[in-house]
Formats: sequence, C-alpha cells, structure tokens
Amino acid sequence: MGDQNTLLTEDDARQLIRRLGFGIPVKESKKFRVSGLTGLTRGAAADLFLNFRPKGFKPKSNEIEKAINKWYKYILKRKKNLALQEKLVIFFHDHFATNFSTLDAQGPADVARRKMAEQNKMFRKNCIGNFKTLVKLVNVNLAMMDFLDTVLNTKDEPNENYGRELQELFTLGATDLNGEPNYTEDDVGQVSRAFTGWNHEAKDGSQHLRAAEHDTTAEFPARGPKVIFGTAHPVGGGHNYGGFAGPQSFIVGGEAENEIDEVTEILFQHLDTDGENTVARHLTFKLVEYFCHASPSKATVDAIVAEAGFVGSWEMVPLLRSIIVHDIMYETAVPAPFGALTKKSVRWPVDYTIGTLRSVGLKPKGGELQIPGGNFRNLGEFVAEMGQVLLEPPSVFGWNWEESWISSAGLLARFEFVRDVVASRGKFKPEKLINTDLTDPGDIVDAVTDQLGLTSQFTATQRTTLIDYLTDEGTNPTLDLNDFDTRNRKLHGLYGLVLQSAAAVLH
Amino acid sequence: MAITRRQFLKRSGLVTAGGLAGSAGMFGHPLVKTAMAETIGDRYFVILYLEGGNDGLNTVTVADDGLGSLRTQYESWRNAGPSEGGNSSGIRLSPGELAGTLIGDDPNTEAQLALHPGFAGSGPGAGGLKALYDLGKVAVIQGCGYPNADLSHDTSSRIWESADPLGSSGYGNTGWVGRYLADPSTMYGALDIPAININSSIAPEYVQDGTSVVAINRLRNFGFPFDPDYGDDDAAKEMAFLELYAESLASSQPTVEFTGGAGTTTFNASQSYPALHALYEADRPAFDQMYDDLGSSTARDLREVAKIIYGSVTGQPNIDARHFWVDNGGYDTHGDQGGATGKHYDLHNEVASAVKVFYDDIADMDPGLEDKVTILIWSEFSRRIQQNSNGTDHGSQGPMFLIGGKVNGGVYGNHPNIDPLAVDSRPNTVYSQDVLDDFRSTDFRDVYGTVLKHWFNMPHGTILPNVLTLDTGMDPTLFWTVEDFDMTHPVNLGPLFTP
Repeated sequence: MGDQNTLLTEDDARQLIRRLGFGIPVKESKKFRVSGLTGLTRGAAADLFLNFRPKGFKPKSNEIEKAINKWYKYILKRKKNLALQEKLVIFFHDHFATNFSTLDAQGPADVARRKMAEQNKMFRKNCIGNFKTLVKLVNVNLAMMDFLDTVLNTKDEPNENYGRELQELFTLGATDLNGEPNYTEDDVGQVSRAFTGWNHEAKDGSQHLRAAEHDTTAEFPARGPKVIFGTAHPVGGGHNYGGFAGPQSFIVGGEAENEIDEVTEILFQHLDTDGENTVARHLTFKLVEYFCHASPSKATVDAIVAEAGFVGSWEMVPLLRSIIVHDIMYETAVPAPFGALTKKSVRWPVDYTIGTLRSVGLKPKGGELQIPGGNFRNLGEFVAEMGQVLLEPPSVFGWNWEESWISSAGLLARFEFVRDVVASRGKFKPEKLINTDLTDPGDIVDAVTDQLGLTSQFTATQRTTLIDYLTDEGTNPTLDLNDFDTRNRKLHGLYGLVLQSAAAVLH
Repeated sequence: MAITRRQFLKRSGLVTAGGLAGSAGMFGHPLVKTAMAETIGDRYFVILYLEGGNDGLNTVTVADDGLGSLRTQYESWRNAGPSEGGNSSGIRLSPGELAGTLIGDDPNTEAQLALHPGFAGSGPGAGGLKALYDLGKVAVIQGCGYPNADLSHDTSSRIWESADPLGSSGYGNTGWVGRYLADPSTMYGALDIPAININSSIAPEYVQDGTSVVAINRLRNFGFPFDPDYGDDDAAKEMAFLELYAESLASSQPTVEFTGGAGTTTFNASQSYPALHALYEADRPAFDQMYDDLGSSTARDLREVAKIIYGSVTGQPNIDARHFWVDNGGYDTHGDQGGATGKHYDLHNEVASAVKVFYDDIADMDPGLEDKVTILIWSEFSRRIQQNSNGTDHGSQGPMFLIGGKVNGGVYGNHPNIDPLAVDSRPNTVYSQDVLDDFRSTDFRDVYGTVLKHWFNMPHGTILPNVLTLDTGMDPTLFWTVEDFDMTHPVNLGPLFTP
C-alpha cells in the first residue's frame, strides 16, 4: 500500500504524465518530464500538478468546427500541468454534458456557439474550484438552461428535464453503489417545481426568475408542500430516501430564487443506503473511473473521499490530490503479461489522438489541423470517426466510455489515423526520436517502445513479432536506418504497428 | 449454457495453438476468415432504434372513441394545435390531420387508430409506413413495456437492450441479440461476422463476450490502411498486426482480450465488406439516388444495410452478416415537439420515408427478397399523456413495429389506458399483465420471443433460458409469465409471421 510519501518510479512518473495529461510530450519543461518527476513523493508530484491558475480560454469562432479545432489546438499546446486543466474541463464537459447541435436547433447559431463557449470557460475557471459552487453555476448556466429545457419549465405545465438530470447525473446518480435508487419520481417532480420560471433574457443573457411563471404552493395546493425525499424506501424499508429524518423543505427562505440553492444544498446532504454522502461518492467514483479505471471498489472511493475531507468542503484540489497519491492511480501501468485481475482502461479518442501527436512531436497543419500524410485528413474527422466530438457529446449522458470505444469503426479510424501520422513524409521524423545508428532489430524495437513509454506493455511474444517484422522473418538480420528507404519502410512501419497495437490503444 | 464467440475461438485452438508463427502470406493467415458459413440461413433482421423516448401516444393515436372514450381522454390531456384553433404549443393531432393515416381498430375499445401523419413519408419514400401497412406488411404492436417503468433514458434503454427488467437473470451486460448470436444453434463459425451495426460503436443489444459484431459507419471507408508509399511491405505489416492482436486476444485480462478480438475482427471485415459499396453503386444507381434524395442519416444508414444484403444475395465472399442496427436520434421531445408538423413530424417522416425506400429497394433486388427481411422499431419509453408547455416528459409503455414481407400486418396489443382514474400520479399510463384487464399491456419480450421463435426458428426451449428468462416469483398481474412466443393477429388469428 502506497501513500503520499511513496517515491515515484520512472513508470509511475510516466503514468502520471499520461493520465493527467495527453501522451508523453516530446518537448516538456524539466519539472514535468519523466526525469523530473522520478524520485519525488506522490504527494509532492500531486502538489506540482495541481498548482496552476486556470486560464480563461474559450473555444469561440463563427463556425462550430473552427471552435472545436481551436480547442483541439489549445489542448495540443498545453504544457506542464495545464494539460491536466484540459483533462478536467473534458471531465466536466462530459459530467454536465451539453451539446451544440441541440442549442443550434433552437437557434440562432451564433448565440448557441457563444453559450457553448461560455460554458466551456466556466468549466475551465472552476475545474479546480469548489464542486458545489460549480453545480450552482450549472443550475443557471445559459447553455444548460436551454439544453435541458429550464427555459420551458413554467408553473402551469412544468418540464421535468433538468429536475431529473440534476439528480440522476449531476449530483446523486440514479442508484447508489449498492444499486438502490437514490430518489423517486416524486422527487423529480418536486425539484422541477423549484426551477419553474427560471429564464434568461435574449438581449443580455441575464438569468433570473420570472415570478409570474413560478409555481407556488398557494397557487397549486394540489401539488402538496414543496419537499423532497419524503418517500419511504420501498426496498430496504424503514428509512427515507437520502437518509433524512423526514421530508426536506426547500422553501425555508421563501418561495423565490432561493429554492434552487436550497434544493442543491439538500442534495449535497443526501446519504445513500450505506449512510455515506451520495454526492461525494458519485463524483469521486466518476473521477476515479476517468483518471484510473472503471469500477473502483467502494473502499477505494471512501478512502479517497475521507482523505480529501471532501464532504462539506467540496473542494476539487484535495480530492484530486487524494486520487493522485492513491495506489489506484498506478494500477493500469503494471507490465505485461497481464493477469485476469490486472486493471486496464481504454484511451478515449481525444486522449489517443492528441496524446499520439504529442508523443511523436507531429504538428497538424493549419487551422483545420490536417495530418500531413496518407489521405491528408483533418484531426477532427478522425476523432469523430472514433466516436467523440468535443462540444457534441451525444446526449446529456455524455459519451459512452471504456469498451464502448472499442468497435470496428472506432478501431479502424485509430489505425488509419496512425497510418497517416507515420506516412507524414518530412513531418513525422523518427530519426529525431531514436538513435538511427542502431542496427540490431531488438535494439530498434526497444528504442521505439522506450521512446513512446510503452516497452513494459508488450509481451515477449509481441516483441518477437515486432523484431520479425523488422527483419522480414529473419531475411534481413540487421537494418541501416540511415538509409532513407529502409527507415521509411521499416522504422515508420514499426512506429505504426506499435501505435496501432492494443498497448497504445489502452492505458 | 451458451458458448461465447471467444470461448469458441479458444476451444477451437485458433488462438492458443501457436499456429501464428511462420510466414502465412496475405490470405493464408489462420486468423483471416476465408470460408463462408453455409449454415446461417438467409433471413435478415434490422433493428431501428428511436433514441430518446418516442411519444408513442402521438405515433399511434386514437381518431375516435369507438366503444370507449380514448379520443375524449386524449383530447383532455393534450392541447389543441393550430388546425383546431390552438397555437403551435399544442401537440394534439386532430381527426382531420389523422384522416390520411388511419389503420385498424384498437382490439380492446374498437377505437379507430391512426399513425402519426409523418409516417406517410415523402419524396421517394412517399407513402411511408402507412403504404406498407396498407400492403399488410406492418405489425403495429401497442402498449409495449414492462412493470414499474423506469423513466431514466439510461436505465430504461438498458432494460430493453438486455431484455432483463429485474436485472436478475445473470446476463450481465450482454444484449438479447448478442445472446442469440452467441448461441450454438445459430451455427455461426468462430470467425464469422454475424452482425453489422451502422454506427461508430456497437449497440448494447448486440453485446456478447465476443466482438465479432462489427460497427461500420460507411462501407466505402472500411479498407485497411496500409502505407501507400511502401506497398511491398503490406504483407509484413499485416502479419505483424494480426500477430500482435492475436496475442492480445489470448490475454486473460478482459479489456486486452476484448481489444484483441475487436482488432482481429476489424481486419477481417476490412477484407470483405468495403467492396460492397462499389458493387451497389454500380448495380443499383436508381435506388442509390433515392436514398441520396432523402438525404437523412436514417436513409443513408439503411442504404449501407441494403448494400450488405445486396452483397449477400449476390454471393460475394465472406459476407455472413444477417443482423443489422441503425438508429434515429432526437426523440427526447421535452420541448417544441409539434403536432402534425414540427419536430416529431420530421422525425417520423425521416424514418417512414427511409424505411419505404429500403423496403422497395429490397423487393426490387430479387423477387421475394422482401420476404426474407424483417425490421423491428423500438424506443426506450414513450412519453407522458399530459403534455407540458409545448412538449412531453418521460413516460411509460409505447408501440413497437415489425415490418417485412412475412409480417402478418395489423394492430396487435391494446392501447394504453389513459383514463384519468387509471394513470399514475405523474400522470403516466400503468403497465398491466392482468388477464382480466381490458387494457392488458404487452411485454416487449413477447415481441422479441416471437421474432426469435418464428423469424429465426429458434426452439422455444433454447430461447428460454439462453436468450430470455422468466420473471419467477413475481406478481403475475404485473410481471412476465409468458407461456409461448406465438403472438397472433387479433382479427385474422394468424401468426405474426406468416410461415
């Protein structure tokens, strides 16, 4: 069992760079290189990664494709710990998923683009801030108010879209870690009442409550008192949803703007069927899935929450620090061959593509980020074919992660992307990445996998496969990589095979 | 006990026998599929998913009261639209708007039923699902669902895809079609590709331990990418690629193994499927153009299915896929749903036009080929009977559709009970399996089971429990206690699939 005082090995350092950023960049400042991090304690490294001031970047343009490309380009260029900033922004973009095309369909397009850009900036500004504060900001975020129909939620015929997802996705989860439901349909209806009448003005975008459209208990007595979590648990019996002593009123401060904050405060006090804080477990579980691997144990989640003092503080920095110093952060990096219990995680398209480009030092061309080889296609097309488009998560559920990325369509897009990268003649330069005076095929294979930080991820059999490829099954026992054709045929080919392999597709 | 594709690979020694060493050449590699399975039959199945929760109460609408009061109740829940003097926020369909899409009567109340006007289709698909209904090729199955409807998109879609409302079957994350395909009775060989999803990822109902199900967006782009400048190295790259992935497939780490299988299958698919694009373009320009004219994603996706079926029936090598999946998104109409025009109309029009062109395309490929194709349309839930300001929130059971040459067309299943006294507090219609209930619902698994038994000829005893499972020990007035999978037409009493 490691902790914050455990010293980082080289493999640990690689793992942090890769998981907290995008690939292992060819060029990086000294502190954030493998050599700079190796030998630090996990705690010191965590503090280093988490010590940044969020930037004010927002992906804004007069075309959505350009805005998305601007974001890709911004990620490509992030150095040091600001790569972590972008990883966190994508986490929250998925957690509070909002997509451009839905807003665009409501029109006008320029307003939709502006709202998406502003929401993105909000995630960046708050990515290492306070989670409860962020939820309250999301409650009245312009893009979200449009996306989940808060602007259509009025007293006579309430719209439950936001009231449901606030609970199911943003705070509690539909069920707790025991598979028990966290709320009832009544709670969905009641939370939706709190949001009735919230809207924003077209001219200046200011959010406010339109009192005339707000549901009040006096006007709608049949809907009962404004309370949540008043229903007895139908399965476990004996206790109420949320572990509260009784129904929780969200109009203690009156029936007006205060209601949505009061609802949020109640949600953050919700306890699951183990008596643990539901929001803390839900968010931590998702963060660990994102940065480490799927299905962490309850004990791991609870230990991270406790060490961070997250319940009550809701501060992201100590929570992230607890994850970074925990053993689970390093579990996917164990060397091959892998056992049945080894943990692995599928690299998602943006991580895989941008990480690959950074790890071989290839710069896509122009504003459209063209990969300058093969079919000369743009980065965004590849990422989309792999199943991910930033600013366009498929629904409020965000993207489907892990093995969902592994389909033939998604894999073939990865294979083609890599082919185009290594076929970028004159742009992709492996002669600058490894020593081309090497002639022994085993040494060459090791040099390439070392440069990419993947040596430990190949089995001995796979290493032999790569050597056989270089020698054409022993026909050419040594290689002259300083020969242009040999280098382009075999060294580029070797890079392609390594980057297309499961070792590179997975973490 | 169903054997999974991966287990089959391992048991048949293809992965672990060390047979990958040595130079096998371009088409001699043991993991390159070469033999056509001749045992898999010639019936095709297409799932079309309406993603987001389709408002089934406007998809199959009551045009009059019949012997009951469904129309009166419908009008009390939903506001009048422009054609009845209301404004665009009213989503109610008027009798006039439904006049062109009338279908059969509700079996229970004898209320005149009508399809949404959008289902009449337009452009090259004019007539749409309504025209196919009139040909007797569409089964409209009302009131499909399961007890205690879960109103989360995520949870409810998983229930439909896994066919396991109680989560008690031990089926894990597998899907019902995936379990069917993995069953030894399907006779698919280990290296066959039984299903293609026209998508960038594999749909959950196709998930099984193996990864032979392939996701393809567009066939024309599915060739394997080799370095164009060094073609003389292709065979060496191919050999190394297949060996790297075979080693991953042999791993005991599940994610690595999964990725290994998917990479191998992807390579195999890339050898046989891309050519079907050019073949179809060359042989079927008129229909190719019709899909183009529709221009919708559903039309383009169904065209990819048509290309594969065409490749299959013309005997192209290694085309073994008989099962397909396409989707049409955007049904989460909380706002701006519209009535006889607007968002919901556009969604239905897209589906109906595309399906009509697809059906005509199939029927034109080969006489009687339409008798070998069935399309199933579903959505994860319906929507609330009471509209909100200008849309509908999440609801409970809704209609399913089966379309095909062998489908015994008509109305199956009862319209949900929308009486104010019968709905729940949301208000949503309530699922019931009580045999004494005139509005008795249809468990969606009865439809799946009927497809499995009568379309795929899967023995009843194999369907249960390999693909579907009974809910035992539950209240029989609520839960599924199916005794057979023989859905029959309520009027002509024939089986749903004509033998």
